[in-house]
Amino acid sequence: MKKILFLFALLVFASAGSAALAQDAPKGNAEAAKNGKIAMCTGCHGVPYYKTVFPDVYHVPMISGQSELYIVKALQAYKSGDRNHPSMRGIARSLSDQDMADLAAYYTAHKN
Amino acid sequence: MIKQALFLLGALSLCASVHAAGNAADGQKKSTACAACHGPDGNTSVIPDAPKLAGQHKDYLYKVLADYKSGARKNAIMSGQVTALSRQDLQDLAAYYSSVPGSLHIVPISRLKGSGH
Repeated sequence: MKKILFLFALLVFASAGSAALAQDAPKGNAEAAKNGKIAMCTGCHGVPYYKTVFPDVYHVPMISGQSELYIVKALQAYKSGDRNHPSMRGIARSLSDQDMADLAAYYTAHKN
Repeated sequence: MIKQALFLLGALSLCASVHAAGNAADGQKKSTACAACHGPDGNTSVIPDAPKLAGQHKDYLYKVLADYKSGARKNAIMSGQVTALSRQDLQDLAAYYSSVPGSLHIVPISRLKGSGH
């Protein structure tokens, strides 16, 4: 019972934080991304079955159709260093908040 | 003969640790807690920043869970969620969520077009 209450409290806390963040964040424009920044993404995320390089080898995650806010959060985490991946870090550091919002808007709605 | 058999068994068990082998059916049973944020279908952001998991690459899902467990990746909720989970649990969960149909997909870049899509 305690565990469930704790988890619920964490849930409320986490969603409160992300709600506040969403209000400050720029609105994403998928068209802006399409004409610019996606070139950096498609090289890895647009090649089927592509894998990362040694020593940590795994499939590059699919991002088309992913949650919009998650994409923004992930890019922010790569930029700040919270998430540790050399290529993603380099790419994220070249992105502004608007770029991140645009890319997220593009990829969340990305269709075949 | 026995020696060879034992050696082979030992070698094979080492191989098993390289691959994210898991049982999707077991993973489904273990995924009740996950549904709270990732949705019962693994394809819903119940909390807005929770990623969709359904259909994602199994080895990537396993890597992420393993990173939360090792501390290589930190998140207030996820880090807590995985402390009670064994490596087998993580493999099973990755196997389960990768097998569920969802929104995630890949749009291959076309070599025929110019830059971009």
